[in-house]
Amino acid sequence: MRDQVKALLDLAEQAIEGAGTHEQVEAYATHGIGTSVKVFDGEVETLTAAETRGVGIRVVLDGRLGFAATSDISPAGLGAALAAARDNAAYASVDPGNVLPSPREWQPLAGIVAEGFEEVDPGRKVAVALRLEGLAKAADPRVSGVSSASYGDGVSRMAVASSTGVRAGYGRTDAYATVVALARSGAETQTGFGLTEGRSIEDLDLSFAAAESAQRATRLLGSRKAATTTVPIVFDPLVTAQFLGVVASGFSAESAQKGLSLFADRLGDEVAAPMLSVVDDGRLTDGPATAPVDDEGMPTGRTVIIDEGRLAGFLHNTETAARAGGGARTTANAARSGHRSPPGVSPTNLYLDGPTTPLADILRSADGGLYVQEAKGMHSGVNPVSGEFSVGVTGLWIRGGELAEPVREVTVSATIVRMLLSITALGPDRRFFPMGGAMAGATLLLGAMTVAGS
Amino acid sequence: MLDEADVRATLAAALAGGGEWSEVYAEQRDSTSLSIADRRVEAISTGRDLGAGVRVAKGTQSAYAYTNVLTRDSLLAAARAVAAALRGNGGGGVADLTTARAASVHPARVDPVAVETAAKVALARRAEDGAWAAGGDVRQVMVSYVDATQRVFLANSAGHLSDTTRVRTRLAAQVVAARDGLVQTGFEGPGAAKGWELYDEVDAEDVGATAARRAVRLLDSRPAPAGEMTVVLSAGGGGVLFHEACGHGLEADGIVKDTTVYARTRGQQVGSDLFCGVDDASMPGEWGSYSFDDEGTASQRTLLFDAGVQVGQLTDRLSAGKLGVGLSGNGRRQSYAHVPLPRMTNSLVLPGTSHPAAIVADVDHGLYADGLGGGEVNPATGDFVFGVTEAYLIEHGELTARVRGANLIGNGQQAISLVDAVGTDFAMKQGMCGKGGQWVPVAFGTPTLRIARLTVGGTG
Repeated sequence: MRDQVKALLDLAEQAIEGAGTHEQVEAYATHGIGTSVKVFDGEVETLTAAETRGVGIRVVLDGRLGFAATSDISPAGLGAALAAARDNAAYASVDPGNVLPSPREWQPLAGIVAEGFEEVDPGRKVAVALRLEGLAKAADPRVSGVSSASYGDGVSRMAVASSTGVRAGYGRTDAYATVVALARSGAETQTGFGLTEGRSIEDLDLSFAAAESAQRATRLLGSRKAATTTVPIVFDPLVTAQFLGVVASGFSAESAQKGLSLFADRLGDEVAAPMLSVVDDGRLTDGPATAPVDDEGMPTGRTVIIDEGRLAGFLHNTETAARAGGGARTTANAARSGHRSPPGVSPTNLYLDGPTTPLADILRSADGGLYVQEAKGMHSGVNPVSGEFSVGVTGLWIRGGELAEPVREVTVSATIVRMLLSITALGPDRRFFPMGGAMAGATLLLGAMTVAGS
Repeated sequence: MLDEADVRATLAAALAGGGEWSEVYAEQRDSTSLSIADRRVEAISTGRDLGAGVRVAKGTQSAYAYTNVLTRDSLLAAARAVAAALRGNGGGGVADLTTARAASVHPARVDPVAVETAAKVALARRAEDGAWAAGGDVRQVMVSYVDATQRVFLANSAGHLSDTTRVRTRLAAQVVAARDGLVQTGFEGPGAAKGWELYDEVDAEDVGATAARRAVRLLDSRPAPAGEMTVVLSAGGGGVLFHEACGHGLEADGIVKDTTVYARTRGQQVGSDLFCGVDDASMPGEWGSYSFDDEGTASQRTLLFDAGVQVGQLTDRLSAGKLGVGLSGNGRRQSYAHVPLPRMTNSLVLPGTSHPAAIVADVDHGLYADGLGGGEVNPATGDFVFGVTEAYLIEHGELTARVRGANLIGNGQQAISLVDAVGTDFAMKQGMCGKGGQWVPVAFGTPTLRIARLTVGGTG
């Protein structure tokens, strides 16, 4: 792994060789290898093997920024990309944010590479997906089938080199398996999602994912519409992670500077319940997005965004920190979607922090409330700028401290801040889900809200 | 783009594991994107992406490998990888390659690659000016411009060979307006499978102004009511609902797996007899159009609902084979780094016989939805939720208060069975559709549609 990262760093250095003295040039090089297997009805449906490489080049010239990407890594291809980035800079606007970072010392992180990862036989990957499908089908007699079962993995390597002196790079391995179980009763069909992930195929807990998908599908059978009512709301961990994913766009300094964050101009304000903090940590051992440096080569760290209910800060990359001025520094949240795009701002491992309450206590204190298992319209029904929130919900009523009969086609409406302020308990079941960074879910008890039905 | 002898060798090597059919897809994509936000032209980005994928199929199984190193050695390595995945012996042969001719072509008169960056910046600036000109409530204007010239090379062991170029361009404006603490957004984003000549038809200033007007209008709105009521969808406005709640269920991969409610209603009366729907990738120059799909099948118009009867489905090669039905030319992929899936292109509800004004005049109490945002559908049940971007109350046959924050909640098959009026008008909108992690351009077109009753989730 180390040799391959070194080769990638050499490539990035080669790409910036043509930098002039009057300009700043940065090259970001990636190399990825991945496999994915989808099975259906006991057979391989698709197996995909992939290898891609590419370089993205940023040029800052007279305070203007240009970008170009190429998958042609020959000297001619790299030269053409540098020339294109320089041309593009000429048409962009001057902005104080257009600077490349100065180098900072960084340390490699242990535990993000599984040794022997690339030697795993493809047959074993197929077997994992088939086994997961079989386990889900066998998990409950009401499971009538599995709509998809898959295994996927990848090695991703990146390196950054710049004329300002940045030299950084690392590799990481990831593996995951997902399954969607179908439960059927008469004309009714329900689906349930299950996920297990880790650094390698050995880390996967297939029984857990299978049981999760079967439980989520079967417990919704017999769901009914409901009349409009106002009751306490409990989010299940996946819904909490989705909710956090929507809220997270407002934590980006890029969004705040453009007036697209509901948290803009609210530093120091009480925006969540006093028991609640929100933390981004790029170095967590159990975090899928853990990395030693961000996509500009800056060392990752821990950023408290909401500190016991008060808005304490935003997530920055070099550009947003420079634009903010006043001594703001990057929080190492520069993120790119591959070599084809310049860096934006994105969370790494984002989670809710605070004292936790046992699950049984949460359900007991939410008697008569609604346990939300699925929230549909988290993107269409939520306005991350105004904070208006209205989603379609499927879930279960809570009776006597237990999950009871299922309910469908109801909606929950509120505003994001009202919801954050109403939170009264956080479960101990923290778990990360991959969705635009890694979002941690946990069972969450919110205050009473209107559940609109027919 | 590729040497024909190398392609033949690759197709043959891919069949060595017992495959019945193999394919080489290669692509060169030259693209430009630029964005304006906060009155600044942000980074202008250009890129060239070149890559190829090799696929082999045997019965219901397939394997795919891709690389962005386009040498004979790397193509053959990809072919050996897919052949090994099938683990058999002695597959089919490779027929002589014959260049296929496209029945529908979507020529670009002016290739965006040849247009100066300065002209693209000026176009985006005009859209920005149009938005700021909408008045003092406008707080933020974001404009994006994208173009892509995509050369697609396809060959398969059955002898198909094609090498076509697809050009697409789109200009989009998003505007934030605010007044007295209330913040609202508006969007407009026309696009086409055309070249730079699109901007002879599309007035950039108007794109910005339209987005801005939508945002500003919402400042004078009140929260939408909740409950069951009659819903009228404006021409073009209801397209995304048809796409999400019906179209996805007719993509044949879900029918094969019986994971969509439409798998059990083939040939049945599903919609009301006023309801006719098609998918059409051959519409000249439309955003979702192409000459050949991403497996080399010619594009066509596919009837999906004929007077409410479910008569068709959208297929790619694998799902058509499994279902034993014909190819509809809907095998699409985001790029060489993705396997084809059956996908919609331009999905349309066909116009009917009712005057649009009369459709509203007959409603005593309801919601008029002038635009839908994104939505989500559970394919197994067809249950959906859609955000409404702009809506009005209908009271005693007239549009009255402007409302915001409404959601439409219901079931796809039930909704189309309750269509009780279809307008003579028609309009199209463009967007991007995500499925299985792949994004492809799609367009939606509808007349004014009335649904007798639907649950509206509002905050008021």
